[in-house]
Amino acid sequence: MQTKFFKQSWLTAVLVAVIAGACSKNKEEIDTEYPEIDIAIQDAFPIQCSEITRGVPFTFKAKFTDNKALGSFSLDIHHNFDQHSHSTEVMTCLAAPVKQPENAYVFIQSFEIPENSKEYTANVNMLFPVDADPGDYHFMIKVTDKEGWQTIKGLSIKVI
Amino acid sequence: MSMKAGYYIALISLLVFGYGEVSAQQAGIAGRVLGNNQPLESATIMMNENHIMVKSNTKGFFQIDHLESGVYKLLITYTGFQVYDTTVQVGNQILVLPDIQLIPDHQQLEQVLVTESYEDRRKRTSNFSMEVVNNDYLQRYQGGSLMKSLERLPGINNIGIGSGNSKPLIRGLGFNQVVVVENGVKHEGQQWGADHGLEIDQYSAQRIEIIKGAASFMYGSDAIAGAIDIQPAPAPEKNTWGGSIDLSGKTNNALAGGSLNLYGRKDKLFFDLRATGIFYGDYKVPADTVYVYDYAVPLHRQQVRNTAGRDINFHLSAGWMGKNVKSVFYASRIYNKSGFFANAHGLEPRRVDHDLHDASSRDILLPRQNVTHYKLINKTSIQLQKHHIQTEIGIQRNFRQEWNHYTNHGYMPAIYPDTLTSPITLERQYDKYVYSFNIRDQIRLNKHLLTIGGNAEYQQNTIDGWGFLIPAFNQLTAGIYAYDQYRLNNDVVVHGAVRMNYGKMEMKEYTDWFPSYIINATDTTRQYLQRVNNINRDFTSLNWSVGVNYNRDQWLWKLNAGTSFRMPIAKELGANGVNYHYFRYEKGDASLLPEKSFQVDVEANYKDENWSLQLSPFFNYFPNYIFLNPTSTYDYFYGAGNQVFYYAQSRVMRYGAELQAKYRFSDRWSSEILGEYIYNEQLSGDKKGYTLPFSPPASVLMNVSFEPKNGKRLKDNYFSLDYRITAAQKNIVPPERITNGFQLFNFQAGTKWQLNKSYIHINLQVQNVFNTKYMNHTSFYRLINLPEPGRNIILSLKIPFQFSASQE
Repeated sequence: MQTKFFKQSWLTAVLVAVIAGACSKNKEEIDTEYPEIDIAIQDAFPIQCSEITRGVPFTFKAKFTDNKALGSFSLDIHHNFDQHSHSTEVMTCLAAPVKQPENAYVFIQSFEIPENSKEYTANVNMLFPVDADPGDYHFMIKVTDKEGWQTIKGLSIKVI
Repeated sequence: MSMKAGYYIALISLLVFGYGEVSAQQAGIAGRVLGNNQPLESATIMMNENHIMVKSNTKGFFQIDHLESGVYKLLITYTGFQVYDTTVQVGNQILVLPDIQLIPDHQQLEQVLVTESYEDRRKRTSNFSMEVVNNDYLQRYQGGSLMKSLERLPGINNIGIGSGNSKPLIRGLGFNQVVVVENGVKHEGQQWGADHGLEIDQYSAQRIEIIKGAASFMYGSDAIAGAIDIQPAPAPEKNTWGGSIDLSGKTNNALAGGSLNLYGRKDKLFFDLRATGIFYGDYKVPADTVYVYDYAVPLHRQQVRNTAGRDINFHLSAGWMGKNVKSVFYASRIYNKSGFFANAHGLEPRRVDHDLHDASSRDILLPRQNVTHYKLINKTSIQLQKHHIQTEIGIQRNFRQEWNHYTNHGYMPAIYPDTLTSPITLERQYDKYVYSFNIRDQIRLNKHLLTIGGNAEYQQNTIDGWGFLIPAFNQLTAGIYAYDQYRLNNDVVVHGAVRMNYGKMEMKEYTDWFPSYIINATDTTRQYLQRVNNINRDFTSLNWSVGVNYNRDQWLWKLNAGTSFRMPIAKELGANGVNYHYFRYEKGDASLLPEKSFQVDVEANYKDENWSLQLSPFFNYFPNYIFLNPTSTYDYFYGAGNQVFYYAQSRVMRYGAELQAKYRFSDRWSSEILGEYIYNEQLSGDKKGYTLPFSPPASVLMNVSFEPKNGKRLKDNYFSLDYRITAAQKNIVPPERITNGFQLFNFQAGTKWQLNKSYIHINLQVQNVFNTKYMNHTSFYRLINLPEPGRNIILSLKIPFQFSASQE
């Protein structure tokens, strides 16, 4: 008798816990989706293994999307002469031999995206200085959405 | 006929009531409790399922009067000794029992029948919601680190990195919200870092008590979620010399470990010595390739590259066990060297020389950490009539180095300048000195047990290396408190505490060792950025706690309510730099208030011969939880182009429950269900509606155990299977990811095998029996999608030995 009673009571307790857990999910949905970086669009540049010539202006182009609203984006170019850091891409590029940097180029800049955009195509005019070291560089694209979810894409590029 | 009936009734009444009256006046029992041949004062003597409870006096004597004749269960408990359990037949006079010798806890002598372990009893009789485990439990469920060994307990999780390091989470809170105490002194490492472990030797832990709930009144700042109290082995018995050898082997990370313990005691002087060595290789996951973002990392023989490590630990304790004065010194050195996964440092994928790393699974290359933790502690207790005064004085040093290839993040120069004094591979170094002092006096006043006490701790922290996360700082915390426990009657204890706290934080300024490029319209200037100013802050806080403990028949209820607090840490007040583990620019706020917490928890316990049930729900509210809030913006000045995260305070509500149900089908078979559920929600601020980071998902563990009969030489045999079902965690906050649910089987078996006079403990475990590939939401490597370890077979032996008792 007693055994049965307690068996029932803890089963009830488990049920209550499960129901409580289930109910709490019914509240206002929060955004848990990351924004996306699309470099498969037409004219997207650079893409994995792109070549950039020093002194020749080029345009960074990529499409950002989010389910709710985008935040902002940031670009970061670093040398990769020691081949330490790797791109996030599946494809690997042929790396030049490891070398010592002398005047490695560093570019760090952040950009705003118009408020409440679910989609935004970035166009940024850029230039690699002529006196910068040529070789393997790492081109990082970072984008956030309004809630602070961040997506990072790292590309390997070659500067000639 | 009716005459006859009346006569019988009268006769029966006379017999029953008359006899009853006589026994009520005279019957009872008396006896003396001894331990190590010394009288034990304040041993707890319980009869009749805890309905009658008395304490032994200074000479160890106790007496219980006014008993009715009959058969009684008698139970005697005393800290550090095994529970003594017997059945007595009380007649119609005082029954004087022969002297009762309690058996010290860590001795494996088996004269007494133990129906309930000390741990179970401690857990039940504590005023707080508590889990208590002993060394046997740690052996049975041994994991890669102490906290891993405890994760089976409901409400306890851990944040792990690699196979040998993890830090505790109690009901989803961790870092500086959990206090870890070892030998009575608060353990101070680098609790704030998710990739830092806990510098504790699991072989040396004799008993662990985990308080779930507000414990600030006892431990001061940080004990918001609770406290983990790690207790050493008690002093050996008089005139004994002995020791033990522990050996462990694990297949997953090819671990070989051992620990040697020696102890000895003459009369009052004793020593206890331990040396531990643990060596392990890279751990294995059930995957040939893992994906860091989209980048595929092939794993050589499924090994997580460069996660090998080693621990080398030494302990020495020596003390004096006087009649009224006991004083023990503990000295220890804990050393850990372990590698981090080479293909991703933090969130950053790395190209590494696979041939170099894969040449050996046991080498520890870059990146890696070295941690050395030194402790010197004195624990003294003085018994003065009604006073029991205890002090703890401790000195600790935590020296941590993180080694890594130099990587020029942000505006760091491409070539590491040779003018810098720190080595090129030293990314970060933390050197912490801690001085602690605790004092308390426990005073017995009739039905009151009053404790008054105070503690103070001073820390000096310095930093080095080319990476910067937290500044150097000095910190002082102090508090005084009073705690009273009042026994209302046999069933009810009420208790309450009040505590005043003071804290002081002095942060040292920090300026970058490299210049950043500041673009001002057309001008570009180079500037050495100052990351942290000299900031001084003072904090005060008043905390309280009240509770009631009701114990009747098979039921036990505990209700506790209280406040806790946490002083903001240096990182929260002063951070102003990029954390390249996560590619985020973390911005502190020097005006943060101490984090406060209000918590109510209930524990309902039921226990009979077959059933043991425990349900412990809690509710927790923070008016100002300190949260690292991710934003949608980037900062290219101080943040070198990284996402801005700033420390903010928001209202937070948390609730949850743990369930433990154990059913014994027969002498041999039993079954257990352990469940946990936590819900966290931010009620205000930028992330209103979101959870808190590292929220453990709901999980249920089902167990079935079989305990074969003791053999001629084998005893305490068991076979046990755990089936864990963990739900998915969809309640996440940036930068987390939704983690899928999983199901896991763990198997344990063990025995104690008699060899000469001692028993060799043999424990076998198979963790993750089916080599299931799954991810743990609270693991450090979750963010880079690294699965948890695959199948692991663990064999451990404990071989106790005792030299013949020395001549007297």
